[in-house]
Amino acid sequence: MCTGRVDPALVAKAFKKGIDGLMVVGCYFGDCHYITGNHQAKAKMDMTRKLFKFIGLNEDRLAFRQCSSGEASVFVELVSEFDQKILDIGPLGGDGDTVKAPEIFKKLEAAEAVLAGEKIRWIIGKRTPFLETGNMYGEVFTEHEFNRAIDMIIVEEMEVQEILARLKETARSVKDLANDLTIPPARVFRYISALKRKGMVALDTVAGQTPIFQIARQEV
Amino acid sequence: MPDKKEDIRIGVFLCHCGSNIAGYLDMEELEEFSRKLPHVTFVLRNLYTCSEGGINEIKKAIEEQNLNRVVVASCTPRTHEPLFRSSCGEAGLNPYLFEMVNIRDQCSWVHMKEQEAGTTKAKDLIRMGVAKAALLEPQEPIMSEVQRRALVLGGGIAGMTASLALANRGYEVVLIEKEESLGGMLNNLNKLSPTMTDAGALADEKIKAVTGHVNITVFTKAKVTEVRGFIGKYNVDIETESGVTTIDIGVIVVSTGGRAFVPEGLYGYDGKRVVTQLEMEKLLKDGLDTDIKNVVMIQCVGSRNEERPYCSRICCQTAVKNAMLIREQNPDSKVSILYRDMQMYGVENEEMFRDSKAKGVRYINYDPANPPQVEFDKVRVYHPLFGRDMDLPVDLVVLSTPVVSQEGAEEISQLLRVPIDENGFFLEGHVKLKPLDFATDGIFLCGSARFPANIRETVAQGLGAASRASIPLAKGSIVVEPIISVLADEDACRGCGLCVALCPYGALEVRTTEKGRKVHVIDVACKGCGVCAATCYQHALSINSFTDNQIEAQLEAFLD
Repeated sequence: MCTGRVDPALVAKAFKKGIDGLMVVGCYFGDCHYITGNHQAKAKMDMTRKLFKFIGLNEDRLAFRQCSSGEASVFVELVSEFDQKILDIGPLGGDGDTVKAPEIFKKLEAAEAVLAGEKIRWIIGKRTPFLETGNMYGEVFTEHEFNRAIDMIIVEEMEVQEILARLKETARSVKDLANDLTIPPARVFRYISALKRKGMVALDTVAGQTPIFQIARQEV
Repeated sequence: MPDKKEDIRIGVFLCHCGSNIAGYLDMEELEEFSRKLPHVTFVLRNLYTCSEGGINEIKKAIEEQNLNRVVVASCTPRTHEPLFRSSCGEAGLNPYLFEMVNIRDQCSWVHMKEQEAGTTKAKDLIRMGVAKAALLEPQEPIMSEVQRRALVLGGGIAGMTASLALANRGYEVVLIEKEESLGGMLNNLNKLSPTMTDAGALADEKIKAVTGHVNITVFTKAKVTEVRGFIGKYNVDIETESGVTTIDIGVIVVSTGGRAFVPEGLYGYDGKRVVTQLEMEKLLKDGLDTDIKNVVMIQCVGSRNEERPYCSRICCQTAVKNAMLIREQNPDSKVSILYRDMQMYGVENEEMFRDSKAKGVRYINYDPANPPQVEFDKVRVYHPLFGRDMDLPVDLVVLSTPVVSQEGAEEISQLLRVPIDENGFFLEGHVKLKPLDFATDGIFLCGSARFPANIRETVAQGLGAASRASIPLAKGSIVVEPIISVLADEDACRGCGLCVALCPYGALEVRTTEKGRKVHVIDVACKGCGVCAATCYQHALSINSFTDNQIEAQLEAFLD
């Protein structure tokens, strides 16, 4: 088992279930027992931290650190430092986070869906090839470009998941969703159209002139 | 989710480990606590669970209490998990229905002064272990055949030694050398300390033995261009001048050696009046010019600096050896060695060092912040005991440069999917426990490919690597731990290949099946790191004994 096994979706789940901090400690780069697993872990945790920051969770609640199995004192330092850090930040959804409980748990629920989802896992999985050998057209991306792409995908994926979460509660109009989530109505409309095309959202009724959308019933 | 059809009956064994655990944790409380955990039907404390008595208690309880999961809370799985697993197996329980909880190393040992907190932590750990145990599934070990043929990369002294050792045991060996002839670094050396064996004679003897051996096939001016497969079933492309040959291989020994650093631009290096220690070997071999009366050697040239932070460890003994040989050939010569620290490990080297001082070799310590200056006919160095600069006349300056990693080491590391360290040397599985194995099964290493080594050490490592490589060859088959990746949900897999590109071991491939393109786990090659499972967006891949729901159960138990 490698730090590369740490699934970002499980990390979100752990926070959702109520932990206040999570530290992943792996081998040093170049010294990984599983060759390159720690690079994967670092990329995954960096991305998860970005996502946490975006949803209003203090990103320092999640840490990726490195130490060797022979460095007991370094490990103690890492743990003590992190422990103190979490004590300083305080309980989840309190003063240390921009978004408070219980709202933060809703956000985490959506975050878990994002992290378990295809888009973000695909791009993280393709990180090394994108940065080193390039995509199928031979375009190699810089770290900066890659991070920008991640930032964009995080915004889109979170907004989509939040829309789906709201629609699961009850059918709503584009305007209601836009108000609830403080997303510009034009963008909500774009998401809804895309979700409709994918068969994930369907028209419920038309109230006056406003279409009301609901979650599409999954056909088995 | 526990299988409802089966009644889960967990037995928990709490080990006192003498006083290692019981001396610091409240064992009675842990026993009480364990009894109340879900599915736990039996709890027993042992003085030493790993003793014969303790093992018998486990077996007895499995039979009498009809246990179908066993949890031992004791020491480290690194040393004791195999024992407890096999005990479960002997009692008729699948060995993989066993879970180990470490309440010693990171619990009782680090909380010796905090009994209450330590006991609470142990409770967390046990609760998590039990929660996972309830979800464990039986696994079967994986068997695979081994092709009884070894590939040795590099025909230096390391590779030749390993090849001969393997060939003499009756295994076929394919030896690859990139140069025209075998021998490697050994061909450039003069005399080998401490026995002053003639390097050339040793090289000739080994080359003769290797080329004449019926079990060894030598490819010179050759290189490996492609390595497919895994332990026991490698398939390797070897490129020579006459084309590409493809051979089936069981195990691989990496003995590609190293090379001496060439100190271009350092201390006026010109290969004539300022030479390296390796060039000095040749000068001594050919017979030193009698005009050479004053020699200065400078240690740590191009090593122990920012670019190459490591100590190459064999340059000091080489310098001392050559200093004595210079004095032997030109008895009225003066030799000074300018050093930072003398690395003269081992009794024989220590003796040689003392001997050299008695024979008049001079040693002057220098500070890397104020290094010696090489001028046309003198070397200026600050003498710390005199407290001033000294001018040493020279006819010859010898620079002790480090052994650096072999050209193409990185290429080989990628071909074999084995790691190299920041200095380009191959990285062993564990510096103490697996020094001649890679973390990848079936690939071994020896000699200066691993780290600078003298000839004697290289021979020892060559024999050692051959010995390690002989184990799978002798058995003819291997048994692999089934804690690996599995395609748990075949229908979900889209055959996209994302995981294939990320697998550090090349253990995944996409195959076309009746259901379309699906990923296939090459079970013998998989090490169970779990990168694929944490990446698959279809959640089709899982890791035996570390499934998402088992980890989740542990997480929940932790938060309880």
